[in-house]
Amino acid sequence: MHKYLISTGTVTYAIKGRDVLRRNGYKAEIKRSVGLGRIGCGYGVAFVGDSKKAEELLRFAGVKVLEIKQINE
Amino acid sequence: MIYLDNAASGGKKPPEVIFSVQNALKNYSSNPGRSGHNGSINTALMVYNARKTIVDFFGADNEQNVVFTLNCTHALNYVIKGVLQENDHIVISSLEHNAVMRPVTKLQNIKNISYDMASVSEDDDITVENFKKLINKNTKMVVCTHASNVTGKILPIEKIGKLCKEKGVLFAVDAAQSAGVIPINMQKMNIDFLCLAPHKSLLAPMGVGVLISRSKLNNTVLEGGTGTESLNFEQPLEMPEMLESGTINVPAIAGVTAGIEVLKKQGINNIYKKELGLIKYLYEQLNRLENVILYTKEPKFYDSVPLISFNIKDYNSFEVAEFLNKNNIAVRAGLHCAPTAHKTIGTLNVGTIRVSVGYFNNYYEINYLINVLKKYKKLKNCIDTIQ
Repeated sequence: MHKYLISTGTVTYAIKGRDVLRRNGYKAEIKRSVGLGRIGCGYGVAFVGDSKKAEELLRFAGVKVLEIKQINE
Repeated sequence: MIYLDNAASGGKKPPEVIFSVQNALKNYSSNPGRSGHNGSINTALMVYNARKTIVDFFGADNEQNVVFTLNCTHALNYVIKGVLQENDHIVISSLEHNAVMRPVTKLQNIKNISYDMASVSEDDDITVENFKKLINKNTKMVVCTHASNVTGKILPIEKIGKLCKEKGVLFAVDAAQSAGVIPINMQKMNIDFLCLAPHKSLLAPMGVGVLISRSKLNNTVLEGGTGTESLNFEQPLEMPEMLESGTINVPAIAGVTAGIEVLKKQGINNIYKKELGLIKYLYEQLNRLENVILYTKEPKFYDSVPLISFNIKDYNSFEVAEFLNKNNIAVRAGLHCAPTAHKTIGTLNVGTIRVSVGYFNNYYEINYLINVLKKYKKLKNCIDTIQ
């Protein structure tokens, strides 16, 4: 299983996103985004599992999804 | 000190609130939403939990719409200046605080907005009709207090909210005097913007206000660092960070959560019944004194928050308040920052003495107040006569 980081921008979105993923069985945690990205620093949700499904869940819950990338930890 | 100035600020705090503030100072002093270390994230989680508690307590719909401001006035400024644009029209009530009157007046001067003032009647249906008559095609929003800080009158918010929905105008409520006193449900009451003063009946510390926004604001009043999108010099539009530039007051926010938990545990209706019972008792006692002037009918449950305004015939309200202060009783005299409300009850030139009851008050304190008042100059003679 791969680990991913979905960048959400704000920490509020990241916390909301973490809660959504946890409710759906993901092991998820809040992370400061790695690197500056296009618009500068921000937050995201790191998780292990199906990234497409995770993205769907977050968008459905109204969490802004800026970027998804695989991370190594 | 017998503290009867709860409408200005709750003078005492429950131990649970004091503990939560101390705990925040000790364990949540990292800046939330700024850094990636555990301390920062833990503090952000605690703040998020506060947002969830507020959403649940006020029937809001989303944690992201809970904005922590400096105070209730700050929240009202965000709404009024964030919604209204050039030439817009709004309707306000005749009982508004200067937290509404001053930003509205400023926009009248610089953006040519206009406003009409709906008269608040003892009869709620007449009040709603008064609002209805003033809404026109240019009306963008209705802004009104939930409960007057001068008369205690509770406005028919649910009916006004329904009217606003029917007319397609936004509805903003100043709940400084009602939040924590009587139940508020934003969804049920069709409230778009709810502004709170947690240091009053939500039992929280001073230094934090809350804006719960269910509709979009066009403008920000304050811009700055949000911990995100640092390369973008435009203010980010994501809520709540869009309206939370700069570091928020984390210890006070912890106190808001604790205050709401105390209210939930005790039951908001139980507290209200006790508080209004005290104010009704005070009203009855004052009403028996010949030279006391009361400006409202006897307070009724769910028609009034627990405060009354009065005067002693021919005596200045400040002078009476000072006399009470010397006897260790804290009340407020004057216009209470709400001249329009005083104009409504005819006390614009004299002000009133306001007694406002809160969570910690009891019958012993009300009796003490009555006994001290009975010693006051003109009343002393009056009591002798009555007895």
